[in-house]
Amino acid sequence: MNAAVWATAGALFALGLAAVVLRRQMLAMLLGVELMVAAADLALVHGACRFSDPEALAAVAVILAVAAAEAVVGLSLILKVLRSGRGLDAGDLTELRG
Amino acid sequence: MTPAQVPIVAWLLFLAPISAILFGFFILRPLKPEWTHWPILLSCAVVAVASVALAARVYADGSFDLNFYRWAAVGDWGVDFGLRIDGPCVAVLTMVALVGSLIHVYAASYMKGDPGFSRFFLVFHLFFLAMIGLLTANNYVQMYLFWELVGLASYLLIGFWYQKESARKAALKAFLTNRVGDFGFLLALLLILTTFRVAQFHIIYLKVLVLASGGHTPEFLPLIGGLLIWAACAKSAQFPLYFWLPDAMEGPTPTSALMHAATMVTAGVFLLIRSWPLIAAVPGLPTAVAAIGAFTALASAVIAGTRKDLKRILAYSTVSHLGLMMLALGLGQIGVAVFHLIVHGFFKAALFLCAGNVGHAIHQPTANVDEVGGWRKALPWTYACFLLAALSLAGVFPFGGFFSKDAIVDAALSRGGLFAAAGLLVSIGSAFYIFRMLFLTFHGSRPEQKGLSAHPHEAGFGFVAPIVLLAVGSAFAGLLRPLIERLVDGGLHGLPVSVGGVALQMNLPGSAMIPGFEWRALLIGTAMAAIGAGAAYALTMIDAGWDWRWRVSSPRLVRVFDTDFGWKTLIGWIADGVTGLGNFAGRVLDKKWWDGAIESTGSAALGAGGLLSDASRGRLNEALWWMAAGAALLLAAGGLR
Amino acid sequence: MTLWAVVIAGAAAVVFAAAMLWSRSLYNGAVCLLVVLLQTALIYVLRGAPLLGLLQVMIYAGAVMVLTVITIMASGGASAAERFADFALPRGLAALGVAAVAAEIALTLAGAPPRAAAVAAPGLTAAFGGDLFHSYALATEAVTLLMFLAALAVLPDKEPS
Repeated sequence: MNAAVWATAGALFALGLAAVVLRRQMLAMLLGVELMVAAADLALVHGACRFSDPEALAAVAVILAVAAAEAVVGLSLILKVLRSGRGLDAGDLTELRG
Repeated sequence: MTPAQVPIVAWLLFLAPISAILFGFFILRPLKPEWTHWPILLSCAVVAVASVALAARVYADGSFDLNFYRWAAVGDWGVDFGLRIDGPCVAVLTMVALVGSLIHVYAASYMKGDPGFSRFFLVFHLFFLAMIGLLTANNYVQMYLFWELVGLASYLLIGFWYQKESARKAALKAFLTNRVGDFGFLLALLLILTTFRVAQFHIIYLKVLVLASGGHTPEFLPLIGGLLIWAACAKSAQFPLYFWLPDAMEGPTPTSALMHAATMVTAGVFLLIRSWPLIAAVPGLPTAVAAIGAFTALASAVIAGTRKDLKRILAYSTVSHLGLMMLALGLGQIGVAVFHLIVHGFFKAALFLCAGNVGHAIHQPTANVDEVGGWRKALPWTYACFLLAALSLAGVFPFGGFFSKDAIVDAALSRGGLFAAAGLLVSIGSAFYIFRMLFLTFHGSRPEQKGLSAHPHEAGFGFVAPIVLLAVGSAFAGLLRPLIERLVDGGLHGLPVSVGGVALQMNLPGSAMIPGFEWRALLIGTAMAAIGAGAAYALTMIDAGWDWRWRVSSPRLVRVFDTDFGWKTLIGWIADGVTGLGNFAGRVLDKKWWDGAIESTGSAALGAGGLLSDASRGRLNEALWWMAAGAALLLAAGGLR
Repeated sequence: MTLWAVVIAGAAAVVFAAAMLWSRSLYNGAVCLLVVLLQTALIYVLRGAPLLGLLQVMIYAGAVMVLTVITIMASGGASAAERFADFALPRGLAALGVAAVAAEIALTLAGAPPRAAAVAAPGLTAAFGGDLFHSYALATEAVTLLMFLAALAVLPDKEPS
């Protein structure tokens, strides 16, 4: 059980990290970030249930909320970049401007 | 003896040349360079008179050895500079002074009109001074000082006509080869200072004799002896370091006559004479000296018979006679060696000046056998002097060379074996080459020679008078025999040496005896000379053209002789190897690698900057990748701990 | 039994995550991520935290993913562009990193004592709620505020007309 959940969480995190680092499209990177957060949540919940720790569950709830907020902010930023006409390719976005 | 008691003539030996050089350099050279030779000739006269006076004094009263000045004083140790006027020194000194003065006179006529006239005389006289200093030194350090000075003068004079590339190269070759030998001298000097704590000759003699009589030799003595012999081989042009001497003929004829015939090259032999107690104390070393001398004498006599340039024939002849002196030394006959040194100085100088006259007649620095021929009527005085000196060289009775050279051959015969054979062959060889030179230059003209069409004529009085005196001197040198014998004997044993006021009586190894007239020597000497001269006559006059035919028919043989039996090629390879190494060190190691490494710091910094700037290009993905990698590394490090 | 369910859910999640990584179309990627989130919610429920599973589906899968999909639609899908960045990835280093992580996981797994409680304690959810609104009430309020502020970010700009 342990091994299964930890393996899942680890694989999900690694894949999320790969998505962030390797993919070009900003939105794809955002998806990767969300994946990473989900993986971390999984590990936390598993640990909480293992040791019957309610505070860990509370932490997961908070993380969930914060992740949602962060997703919103990220998406709005991406929309701004899109609207400025520079496209969403990370290769082209090399300067902070505008 | 105190400094005040030193005879004034000993001071004059130095004062006269020094003042002449200073006067000539600072006053005459800028104002009236063509008069530079006058104070110098005056100084020569003074030195000649002084040396004869000193010789008379030593003959009568005995030698003296006095320290004047302590150099490099440390506590109670130091190197004492001083004068040592004893038998061998004063005998050679007189020859140097007389022969040198006559050559100075010759040079005044020979070098007239040369733009470097003033420079020539100043350096020439500097050499003269250095030679005097070398002969009168009383310790190894002082002798080394003047040894180097003589080498410097040699370099300056060989390269006198520095516009010629061959002269520059020859000067460098001479200097570098002598440097190799001087390095041996320096090492020997340091070893002497280490072993004996002093450099004074007489103290070292005492120590060596005491130790030898006690039965044990100082441990470095073989090495010291070997190194001194190495140094002497370089300076006196013995195998393996002789090859600079033939090329040294690029210098003006007075240089060749004085330095490379009569005086400088004898410095090596003189060093060995001074060091003989050390060398004789090592078993086998004297035999080695004799072997080197015999081998060199024979090989160079053979080569001399094949050369076409007049001065080079004489150069190889000098090498051969120096070999004879070494042979005599090696056999323990110090007196004979000194005697031959003196007589050789006279006749070799005469021969060189005759060659100078021949060259002067065709307005060239030297003459080739192809350019002369049949000139005995055109240059009668030169011919007569040459003949006289040649007879002396060949060792024909009653000329001077008979007494000196045949004494050496006689000693070699007594020793027997290879030395005897070498001695006989050298006798034949030297007669051959000198008579070949005589016949080719002055008798008969071959079709290959352009001699008679050149219309030469005898040069002026200043060219002829010194040679006449020298030739006559070499002819009658046999009369000097008892004088020199007594002088050398006094230097070696018997007569007390006055050292700093204390009279010492030492018996140094070596025999001062110079045999007088002996029938055996007469027969053998004359026979050998006859064989040699006869062969020369046959191959130059009777079978005319032989000298040119063998060169055409066997070019391989020509190459053998041109490269001195291949030795010059070998030395060329060694020199190339060393210069290649130096080149490598200079160009590649120093310039390319070291300087390149230092200069590449700039480009290295640029490269590093380029690398780093790549990292901060602004590429999002790269930055994220490095972040992830760094985080992973931290985690791994934390996890490991 | 739950073990098998967890394993299957986990495997499915990993597969869909890989599909998201390699997807050409962003829309496909977003849907794959949605599936992954549902799987993790399932695992939460199986492990004994049903409230959190519900929250995950509601907030994360529901609101966030929908928002993401809408944005993807707005940006046009972008299925033609390059997927992966073209920087010179030091492959050797990456492989080393992956191997290190795998090794570390294996080591950790090997060393841990097998203390797998299959089902959580019954009173866990109640305690969780109590924590949220009693012990960490302040934190909860702060998060709520944060979400409210985030909503402001979505407000459209004043377009210059």
